[in-house]
Order: sequence, then C-alpha cells, then structure tokens
Amino acid sequence: MSLSKHSLTRRDFLGRASAATLGALAAGYPRQLLAGADAEAKPKATADTLIVLWMGGGMAHTETFDPKHYTPFDKGIESKAVLSTFPAIDTVVDNIKFSQGLERLARVMDRGTLIRTYTAGDLGFILHSRHQYQWHTGYPPPQTVAAPHLGAVVARTLGPLNPVVPPFINIGQRFDVGEGEELKAFTTAGFLGSEFGPFNIPYPDQAADTVRPPAGMGPDRFQDRNKFYRQLLEQSPIGQHGSDYQRQSLLRSLDNAHRLLSSPAAKAFDLALEPLESVKKYLPEGVDPGVTFKAAQTRDGSYERQTLGRFGLGCLLARRLAEVGARYIEVTTEYIPFLNWDTHENGHTRLVDMKKQIDGPVAQLVLDLEERGLLDRTLIVLASEFSRDLITEGKPDKTVKDQVEVPDKIQELKHYGMHRHFTDAGCVLLFGGGVKKGYLHGRTADERPVKTLEKRVVIEDLHASIYHALGIPAKLSYEIERRPFYVTRDGLGQPIHELFA
Amino acid sequence: MKPLWLVAFVLASIGPVDTGAPSLAAATESPKAIPPAARRKVAFTEDIKPILENSCIKCHAHGQKKGAFQIDSRELFLKGGDSGPAASAGHSGESLVIKLVAGLDADKIMPAKGPRLTPVQVGLLRAWIDQGLPWKEGLKLSRGAHAALAPRKVTLPAAQGGSSNPIDRLLRPYYAKQGIHPPALVEDRVFARRAWLDVTGLLPTPEQLEAFLADRHRDKRARLARQLLDQNQRYAEHWLTFWNDALRNDYRGTGYIDGGRKQISPWLFSALATNMPFDRFVARLVNPDEHSEGFAKGIVWRGVVNASQTPQIQAAQNISQVFMGINLKCASCHDSFISDWKLADAYGLASVYADAPLELVRCDKPTGQMSQRKFLYPQLGQVLDSTNRAERLQSLAQAITRPENGRLTRTIVNRLWARLLGRGIVEPVDEMDNPPWNADLLDWLARDLAAHRYDLKHTLELILTSRAYQLPAVGMDEQGQDRFVFRGPTVRRLTAEEYLDALSSLTGLWQKLPANTEMDLSAGSASARPPAPPARWVWSSPDAAKAAPPQKVWFRKAFTLPEAPGQALAVVTADNRFTLHVNGHEAGSSDKWEHPKVLDIRAHLVKGENVIAVAAENDAASKEDASPNPAGLLVLARLRGAAGAGAAPAVWDLGSDATWLWSTNKADGWQEAGFRAEGWQPAAELGASGLAPWNLAAQVAAAWASAAQFGTIRASLANNDPLMAALGRPNREQVLTARATVATTLQALELTNGATLADLLKRGAERLRADQPGAAADLVNRLYLHALGRRPSATELALAQETVHEPVAAGGVEDLLWAMSMLPEFQLIY
Repeated sequence: MSLSKHSLTRRDFLGRASAATLGALAAGYPRQLLAGADAEAKPKATADTLIVLWMGGGMAHTETFDPKHYTPFDKGIESKAVLSTFPAIDTVVDNIKFSQGLERLARVMDRGTLIRTYTAGDLGFILHSRHQYQWHTGYPPPQTVAAPHLGAVVARTLGPLNPVVPPFINIGQRFDVGEGEELKAFTTAGFLGSEFGPFNIPYPDQAADTVRPPAGMGPDRFQDRNKFYRQLLEQSPIGQHGSDYQRQSLLRSLDNAHRLLSSPAAKAFDLALEPLESVKKYLPEGVDPGVTFKAAQTRDGSYERQTLGRFGLGCLLARRLAEVGARYIEVTTEYIPFLNWDTHENGHTRLVDMKKQIDGPVAQLVLDLEERGLLDRTLIVLASEFSRDLITEGKPDKTVKDQVEVPDKIQELKHYGMHRHFTDAGCVLLFGGGVKKGYLHGRTADERPVKTLEKRVVIEDLHASIYHALGIPAKLSYEIERRPFYVTRDGLGQPIHELFA
Repeated sequence: MKPLWLVAFVLASIGPVDTGAPSLAAATESPKAIPPAARRKVAFTEDIKPILENSCIKCHAHGQKKGAFQIDSRELFLKGGDSGPAASAGHSGESLVIKLVAGLDADKIMPAKGPRLTPVQVGLLRAWIDQGLPWKEGLKLSRGAHAALAPRKVTLPAAQGGSSNPIDRLLRPYYAKQGIHPPALVEDRVFARRAWLDVTGLLPTPEQLEAFLADRHRDKRARLARQLLDQNQRYAEHWLTFWNDALRNDYRGTGYIDGGRKQISPWLFSALATNMPFDRFVARLVNPDEHSEGFAKGIVWRGVVNASQTPQIQAAQNISQVFMGINLKCASCHDSFISDWKLADAYGLASVYADAPLELVRCDKPTGQMSQRKFLYPQLGQVLDSTNRAERLQSLAQAITRPENGRLTRTIVNRLWARLLGRGIVEPVDEMDNPPWNADLLDWLARDLAAHRYDLKHTLELILTSRAYQLPAVGMDEQGQDRFVFRGPTVRRLTAEEYLDALSSLTGLWQKLPANTEMDLSAGSASARPPAPPARWVWSSPDAAKAAPPQKVWFRKAFTLPEAPGQALAVVTADNRFTLHVNGHEAGSSDKWEHPKVLDIRAHLVKGENVIAVAAENDAASKEDASPNPAGLLVLARLRGAAGAGAAPAVWDLGSDATWLWSTNKADGWQEAGFRAEGWQPAAELGASGLAPWNLAAQVAAAWASAAQFGTIRASLANNDPLMAALGRPNREQVLTARATVATTLQALELTNGATLADLLKRGAERLRADQPGAAADLVNRLYLHALGRRPSATELALAQETVHEPVAAGGVEDLLWAMSMLPEFQLIY
C-alpha cells in the first residue's frame, strides 16, 4: 500500500514526523539499538499492516480448528472420553478439518496458514491475564520495566502508515471488567512512551464517538471552540516568545488530535457509513445491524447470545481502518473472566455462540481485504492465550492446580465442554501478509492428552515470524535503563520460515 | 574509590590549572591546542580510573574492543589498537589518545558517544602519561561510575551581596565558571504560581494571589514558602502523588487477585502530613509494621514468576532504586554488565526478606549457590544473619539510615531538586553514580538534610527561597543534551493530578470521596479534626462486645428534618456485617468491620419523617462453632441543610445510641419511615468507638475526616481515570520516579473529545455559572486570574466575552474553560 492512497499532503507527513523526532530526541524516549553484526539482517517486509484477532479467555483447539474424536452429549458419558463436543467438518484444504460451526472460515482456509501447535508459557496456577500479557508483550509478567505491547512495538518501529490514523488501535476490550487493571498492564506502550500506546475503542458499535466532538457538541461548535483556542493562544504572552520544546510538543499534539477528528480518515470509524448489505455480512444471522450491545454478565450463556454481533462489528471496523492506513489493529472477542471463550461451565453451548461470533466476520474480513487488493500486504493473526481441555489443566507433564471440578461422568449439559486451561497446544490462524496459502503447520495427538507432537511453536518464534513479515528483526531492541530490551524475549525469537510463501 | 566530580573539586582547590569547563558555545568547537597537563602528581585510582570508567569503558573494556583498543590493563592501554600505540610514557603531547580526547580533529573525537572530556580531565590524563602511566598492579576497571558512599563536607563560600541562601552561595562560583550572568528573578505572580503548585499542587486563588502581590514585606517570598509548607494537609495531598509513584502504592491492579498487594495509603498520608523525618520514613518502609509493609512486600502474583521478580528480589530492587539511586535490576538476573553489582549482591539484600537463604538463580538457571544476607554496603554495618526476621530488618533499616550513608540523603535531595527545578543535579535521578553537574551543591544539600533531622520540608524551603529557584524558566531544548548547564528551572508540565485539581479549583467541583477513606486527612492538624457526633457501639445486649449469639439484629432510628438536607454522610461499621437503608432504600453495606465505611446517604432523605435502618448480623465463628462472640454496630452521621444565602447551613448529627431501637423479628416495612416499631427495644450501649475488641478509634476518626471533606477531595486521593491515565498518571506496576512530560497525540485526543474531561467541564461550567452570577467580564477576569495568575488583556477579554455570551451561557463557559486549560501557559509551569 502506498502512502499516496491516503490523500495526505507531504506537509502533514513532515509535521507528524518531525513531532516524533523532536519527541524522541528531547524527551528521553528509549533509543533504538542497531542490531549487532551477528544479528539477523533486516528482513524484507511482506506486510504493512497487522490485524490481530484476539480470542480472549482461552479458545479450545479441539472445539475449533483442531477437531478430535466427537462424543455427542448423552447423560452419563465418561468425562475422559470426551475430546470434542462438535463433529468435524471439511475445509477447502484437503488435510485440514475444522469443528462444526466454522463453515465460512472453512471456505477461506485456502487463503491462509493454520498453526496447531502454539504452546503457551509455564506460568504456574493459571491466570488468563498473565498469559495474555505474555502473548502480547512476549515476556512473562511481572517485568522490572513496563514491557510494551506488540502493537506499541510495531507503532514505534514502523510509525503510522497514514500519519493521521493512530498506529495502534485496540478494538473491543473494556477495562472496567474483571482483571481490567491486569489488562491495562500490557495494553500499553510501556517504556516506549505513550505516544505509541493504544487508541482504545472499547465499544465497536460506538466507534464513531471516539473521533467525534464530545457528546452534545455539534461540529460547528467544535470548530468554533478550536478557533477560539487558537485566538487565545495567539494572545497568550507565553505563546509569543521563544519556542520551548514542551510548548511545541503540546501544540503539536493538539494539532494531531484535531487533524484526526477533522480528517476524512475519521469517517472510517463510523460504521453507519457502511452500506447495510455489507454490515450484515459481518453479523451473525438475526443480529440487528443497528444494535447497541448490552447484556448482563452472567455465566449461563445468555451473555454470549446477546452480544453475538459485537466482535463482527469490530472486524468490520478493522477492515475500514486497514483501508485508510492503520498500522496495527487488534480486535478482541473481549476477555471478561468466565465469559466468552473463558468457559468454566456450559462450554459446549456457549461455544456454539462463540463460533457464530467469529466464523462469518473473520471469513468476510479475509474476503473483503482480498477483494480490495489489501490482503497481500495485511497480515491477519487469529490467536488466544492458550487452549482448553476437559481434563488436563496446564500441560500433561506440568499440570497445575485445577480450577474447575469435573465429574467422572457427565450428567448435565453444563459439564459438557472444555472447562480446564490447556497450554500444550493451541491454534493460530494466519492470513495474508506473505504467509502460505492452505498450509498446515504442526501436529497434535489424537488421543488425550491432545498435546503438541510436531513443530512446537512458542511465543518468541510466533512473534519473530510476525515481526519478520513486517520487516522487523527479532533481535531489534530498545534501550531502557542502559540495557537492551529486545522485541522478542532476550532476542531469542526465530522466525518460522516454513510459514511464509 | 572517589567519583569523577572529586577530580574537578580537588583541582579547583589546588590552583590555576585550567579555567574548567568551557562555555556551551566553546564546547561545540575544536580547540586549537591541547590543554596543558596538570601540574601535580596524579593518583590512578582517584584521578584517572574514574575518567576511564565514565568515558572509555563502554567501547574499550570488559570484552569491548572498538578499533581493537582495550584498556583493561596498563599493557593493553599502551599497546593501543588499529591506529597504533595509544600513549608513549612520558610524552603526553605526542600520545594519540590525548590528541583524540582533546578533539584536535573534529572528525576523530573520543569519546565517540557521550560528553566530551573537559580540559581539566585531559590535563589529568596528560599528567598521568607524563608521569609514566602508573597503574596499580592488578587493579581492574569498574563497569561504571561509582559515587562515594560517605557524605562529604562542603565549605560554603561566603555570602556576597544578594542572597545568603546556601544554594546561591554554592552556585555563585559555578555561574562564574560557566560564564553565566543570572538574569533577574521572576515576578511575584510567577513565583506564586510555582510555589503554590510545588508545595501544595494547587493554583493560588485570585484572593490568595492578590494578597501576596499586595504584601509589602521584603521577605514575603520566604514567608509564603513557609506558609505553604505549613499547610500540612495540602502538602500531603500533593506529595502523595510523588510517593505513590515511587513506592508504587495506590493501585488497584495487577497482583491484587489472591491478595498479592497491600496498600500503605493511610500510613503514607499520615507520614507526609506529619512530615515524618526521612530517616524514620525509610526505616519504616524497610522494616515495616502492618501499616507500611506494602512497599517491601511487593507484588505477589498468582502462579510462578521469574526468579528475578520474586517478592524478595522486588524488595531488593525497589529499596536500592528508591532510596539509594542504584539499579539492581540487571544484577537480579546475572552479574551486571553495566555496573559492579553482582548477582550475589542482589540476592544478599533480597534474602534479608527471606526466612531462609535463597538459591542464586542466574538467567533462570539455579546455580546451587546460596545467598548470604548482606546490604550493598557492608561498611554501613552488619546485617544480622538472624533467623528472627524482625531483627534482620531492623539491622537493615539501621544500616540504610546511618548518617554515614551519604547516598540516602543525596538520592532524596536530588529527587526534591528535580521535582522543583525540572531536572536533577544528577540525571537520571535513579542513577546516583552518575556525575552531578555540581557536586558541592548536591553534597551540601545532602549533609544539610541529615543535619536538620532529615526534615524534607527544610530542604524544600531552602530550594524555594533560593534565587536559583526563582530564575526564569528555561526550555528543555535550551539546556544542551550532552553537557547540561544549569541556567534556571526547566519548564515543567502540570502532572495529571495538578491538572485535574486546577480544573477543580476553577470550577469548585472536586472529587467526592477519597478512594481510600482510611487515610486520615486531618492527620497533619489534629486540632482541626472535625468533631464527630457522639456515637456508641450498640447491640441488643449490653455485654455484646464480649459475646453475643450469632444472629441477625435489625436496628432503626427515626427522626424528623425541617428541610431536605443538602449533604448527608455516614460512617458505619458492624461486626460482622451490615446493610443500611434510608427510608427504605439501600444505601450501602459491608462485611469488613475493620474498615469503617463512608456512605453518602443524602439521596433519599426528605423533609419530615425519616428513618435510618440497619440490618446487622453477627456471624458464627464457623459452621461447627456457633458459640457467642463479639457483636456491635456503630453509626455516625451528619446531615447539613441546603446552603442558604449568607447563613450557615443547619447541621443535624446522628450517632448510634440508646435512642436506636432493635428487634430480632424482621417485620414487613421495618426499614420504612412510618413503620410502627411496636415491641422494638432500645439498643444497649456498649462503649465509644475505641472500644475493645475492635479498637477502631483511629479508623473511625479517619473515616469521619474523609466524610467531613466530602466533595472537596483532591485528584491524588481518587482512583485513576482515563483522563489522568492519558495525562501520565502511571499504573504503578513499576517504581516511577519521573513522569514523562512530553505531550502525545493520544493524550490530546483524550483532552479534545474524552468523556471524562467533557463531563467535568460541562458540570463545572454549570456550577461556575450558578456560583458566580454576574457579568461575563467578571467571570472571565476571575478565571484568568485564577488559571493563569494574571488578568486578561483587552483583546483576550473581548474574545472570551464573545464566547461566554451575555448573559453567561453554560456552553460558552465550558468552551472557555476548555480553551484556557489547553494553553501552554496553563499546562506548563514557567
């Protein structure tokens, strides 16, 4: 994608660039350290934009993209006999089967790569937000310095693709839910500095509000207010003499904000501008396109049913933002303890709805980007912090404290599903951005424990591969407190070259 | 080993070797000639080693060999690198290394990165080479600079005209050396804004500012400094922000699941409000009791954490960083590459907090080696290797706070200087081994603090009353990056809390209640403690404080009000739990009797008959043990009438006592006004709030002080919100000792259309309009004076009046508030 597509002027770009340079010089922002002589040379980028689709809460591989033997629900079935609670379905790729409920994704599998052997870290007694921290920063928490999120590293290293669009956009996660503060701990630019932090859009259905004047203020008053501010600024005696750095950075930041709010790119945030027919393609059947999602956070399955279209609208928003030149976009199904993918009970019934949430929108996102000629330079990564299993908590050889009671025999539907946290295998889907098409990476056991057998993928290597696609060396580091902080843990990440075409 | 700055000091006192550091302009040009050699015998350890360690070792020692040149020993140094021998003993003028560090060739200057050597330093190196490069056999270069541990006595230069303030006396020779002629001091209004913000975090009100401007005392600035420092509560509310950041306190987040963190807010607030001497403050954090243990306890995560982040290692890192200006983070994982701290040092300190010696883990691999308890500087005293934790921690606290520990005082006075003048005497403020730009100043302030019983306000007062503090502010870009020269305070930015408080003081809209109502806001002025209504612990039986059966008891108190109150707060606690209703509406509940709850109960109170009804329950000790145990309920409430014109509002107090009624039969409507409490009995009074076994006198008083200040609470006491987070209030997962001041786009977006600020301005504008009826011009004048410390110009007044409209429109005020609060003149401290 070339910059000229975004109808921005050279002046805009320079204005923004010099702000960043000024900031980096004067504010003590961490320096980028050039990779040493033995470091991997800067890879050639195959993607300009990264979209992470986050399945927060632990997406069971055996119920989604790595189906195993199906055991239908029947009163009194043995728990340990249940590997999958859905039958497998065919995809357009011969050697890849999906779990029932992912039919639309099955039809686009020939556009992407499926990793079945993502292995999460060993962090002991499971806490989702710690694993999410590790997935998003590449480092297990806690750290002695504030580790930056993947999106912040990308934003800092590559800068914005379109200067008016925030380079790190985070869609769908609220922070006033359970473990909200733990989520904030990694949803941050950390020591890289807040210029590269997330632009949060917690409610995809209300995204337009994030780039609109404050509630109750029309566009005219908004413009008048800004004009009035500039007049006062001109009169302020401080504004008339000298040009100290702090003042400049303040003025420039307000300029940037105002530029975004009044730019054509801001329209990308407004889903109301999307033709109804195309909105519907991102919504599960029966979901009203104009809906504002509200539901009680109960664990009986009603929450998931009532918020069915939330993630889909996030995907649609991601497509619109990718079109105007966003650099990093994350869309989450949203992590709320014990809800969405975090099934401690009713796992089967809730997954019917979770799959509805993702199947159509993700497939449509792939197709839309392809149709617009953007898929080749946009890498889509669908991932989760770990998987789930009905029996094993942790890894077969490193089991950890159980959090869910599992009866020997399943009498009630609520016990039918993957309710424990499994870290020895998990699925990652990749589309576009130079990855192979129709490729399957890694193999897991067909009997319990359904663990990784071949081609284990760990976070360091997954990140190294993502960075590789973006043209960022895995050994790139930033200096903090006089030491290097690498973009993959200790610079150890190795790109998995088999993933790329 | 003596640090680098000693070199300059020693030389300066010896005589005319050189003019010292060149002026800024000269520093960027190549000198025409090599500076002369020092005319005295040099000592390798004192004179030369620090220069090599500060300027050369990054590229030429400890395995680094840029240009094949290594300086780890005399032989290697002499041998030189790709460009030939570095030095010829006895002939410094012809030595390659001297030509390079003197910068004769602008394209070949050493060091290639970082500050250039001063002529004094070059002269020392020359003398060393001329004297045959003496190098003590086997002496190794350190991995970084080292500041001395001991305090250093500095003789104050005589006062000459102008200021007798020691800071100014110390800076006079500095200015002379730098060729700086300090400009005139800032005017009163600028000084006032700075001083108010720096001591209390608040803008002066128009009345306060006018009074100060009108003050005719010659020493009115010193008087103001003292007055502000004496405002204990305001001071504590402001400096709480600084200490919360440094001690990573007051954070709801990570690690709180499973109870892995502990707040120290009530202790910290009281320590600040009473200006606890700093040595005691540190001792109480290092060797804590239950109230101050959160800092050393650290963050205990669920699950397994990296060996370099166990709670004990966190304690070692944080104590070193915050109190000693030492970074132990590298050494927590392996022997540091950038300092001489070893893995064993980090574990030695960490294991003071561990009940048994810890196994050293190097880069996640256990080494089999066990730690030996010790402090970083054993010369400060032996840390007891006792099995008794209390003894160990006491000996550690003693070592750290010993007067011989000059690092403790240098680290804190440097932090205070940095906070008030925008940049430390040493930077970064957590790396106290770095050379200061004025060693005499740093060492003098440090010793002076110890000599004044570690009174931080004393140091603050010294700084506030110095001419240095009162110089015009200097932009960050005018100071020079590599070689900082002090010319005046750096332009600073309001912190998130200062910004919020400034808006609050403009609009009169503050936070309602502190996030933690156990902080005693009146701690700094017990005489000003608001008198609490008399209230007694009550229950259904008079000996309930000793034992009462586990059961539910319903209480009610009916009363009549001549008008609906404008404000009503209650402090409530019950052993074990309560739910409180006002006229049938639930107003709050709690099951933690140790933490009296503050409730805003105004919403459902009415003119006429009202009832406060409490369902209280005494729990059984366990399912199996239903034996009687202590039970009690305590309620204090104060209701105020709506503020009338001129007259003080009426006040009604309510406290639980024998006029309250109880029953063990819950009848329908028991919590409603108008319920006929037939058969209900008068409550039994057990005793005052301090009654055992609860002993809650202090907690109740603290809660009451919070309640008494309802609606006037500062931002530092409130939970973080999206606006403050965007403006840089940290999440306090890591120690933070300096906030970023750069403005960012995300911040500006939050300021431009964020809901938090928009809502605050909207309510604030309405409040302003209601509180200050009158002409638009009056409102504009007042806002300018308050926000910017000056009156608007005629043009500004006209522009603002046009926006505000006549009669004043709330929307116009909102836009004026927004525009003013975006001005650099408002957000920056000049």
